[in-house]
Amino acid sequence: MLKKLRYFYIAWVLLFYSCDKTPLEFYDGMGKRPKYIALDELKNIKSLPPEDITASGTIFLKNNLFFILEQRKGIHVYDISDSLNTVNLVFLNIPAITDFTVSGKYLYADSWTDLVTIDISDLQKIKEVGRSENVLNPVLYPLLYDGIFECVDASKGAVIDWEDAQLIDAKCITSN
Amino acid sequence: MKKILLTYLCFLWLLAGCFEKANFAVSEGGKSGSVTRFTTYQGYMYVLNLNEVQTYSLVNPSKPLLVHTLSTDYGLETINIYDNTIFLGSTTSLYILDITDPAAPALLSKTDRLFELSRRCDPVVVKENYAYSTIKTIENICGSISSISALIVYDISDKTQPIVLNTYDLEIPNGLGYKDNYLFICDEGSDYLEVFDISDPAQLVKTSLGVPILDPIDLIIDGNRMFVATKTDFQIFDVSDMNNIRRIGKIDR
Repeated sequence: MLKKLRYFYIAWVLLFYSCDKTPLEFYDGMGKRPKYIALDELKNIKSLPPEDITASGTIFLKNNLFFILEQRKGIHVYDISDSLNTVNLVFLNIPAITDFTVSGKYLYADSWTDLVTIDISDLQKIKEVGRSENVLNPVLYPLLYDGIFECVDASKGAVIDWEDAQLIDAKCITSN
Repeated sequence: MKKILLTYLCFLWLLAGCFEKANFAVSEGGKSGSVTRFTTYQGYMYVLNLNEVQTYSLVNPSKPLLVHTLSTDYGLETINIYDNTIFLGSTTSLYILDITDPAAPALLSKTDRLFELSRRCDPVVVKENYAYSTIKTIENICGSISSISALIVYDISDKTQPIVLNTYDLEIPNGLGYKDNYLFICDEGSDYLEVFDISDPAQLVKTSLGVPILDPIDLIIDGNRMFVATKTDFQIFDVSDMNNIRRIGKIDR
């Protein structure tokens, strides 16, 4: 309950932040709608065959490994020891991820409202070894987008994407 | 209460010792780009969470323990550490935090809002007494399609009182980084990797050494190699000779 209130508050803060005169109103038209996964799915952290980058994010270099985030999906890992022949090694499936860092043999990432620790000593067989629950506030609006969107309903799960949709009575709008 | 916490920490530390070699130096074995909300430093991890800086102890590296929270305004976006100091880029301000005690970051200063509009993504890199930060405002929903996007140079000789030295117009700047006296900036708007000569921080010179690249987002400079991430790939450049920045590799598809 408390968490919901907090989300609501954040939404209000964001709403009034840059648009002083934004009235409270509902919006109709094309916009973005969140795509959810069940919260159980967040634990589906595993190594998968390499994939192409489609929406990059945070990058990290560790020795000969180059990590590059795939928004809300996971992390691509490349072997860059030979610049001319980089090798796409693996895709680390980490649902709802938006940022991470690496330290020693562990990778730390956000996982919706949780902070997870992942042992990456064997890149082809990563495993979750720790999870602090409900410590983070995920971003509740579509990134790099201006316009209306369907507000996130946290009871439906974790947001992993935003799709274009015809919206009726949408109550959220970006405030860049 | 504090004693219990300390006891608990000691216990965790002992426990960690059973499984791991408690070697914190190992953790500083990598580097991130300029746009990130996570970083580690001397056995601690800092995580930006909208309006707070969370500090986790990595005494037991597999189980980060929240030991400190510092409240800020909303809009924290990037964290960078330089010279025992945390630099935070937010949608409104540059924050400077002291981490002489890495377990408890302490606010040194926070700049006033430079512009009335809220902005996005404000990575900061620091070299000696100067901080370089890009800011951008993308189309605003309120109708003002103002594009205040720029590189801002701060004099941070006094970390409690950063001073804006100068600003330089850019299109839609993203991540940045430097090598010696050259500052590289990803400009997504102009599809170009800009290069500024920063020999004189008070008066940067935009050079013609840059290279065109589609949708650059962020970069990491590692010795003579520069990794530039774009929206859908990354490319590797040889920056050993600044007069001849060469693309030497791209990703395996």
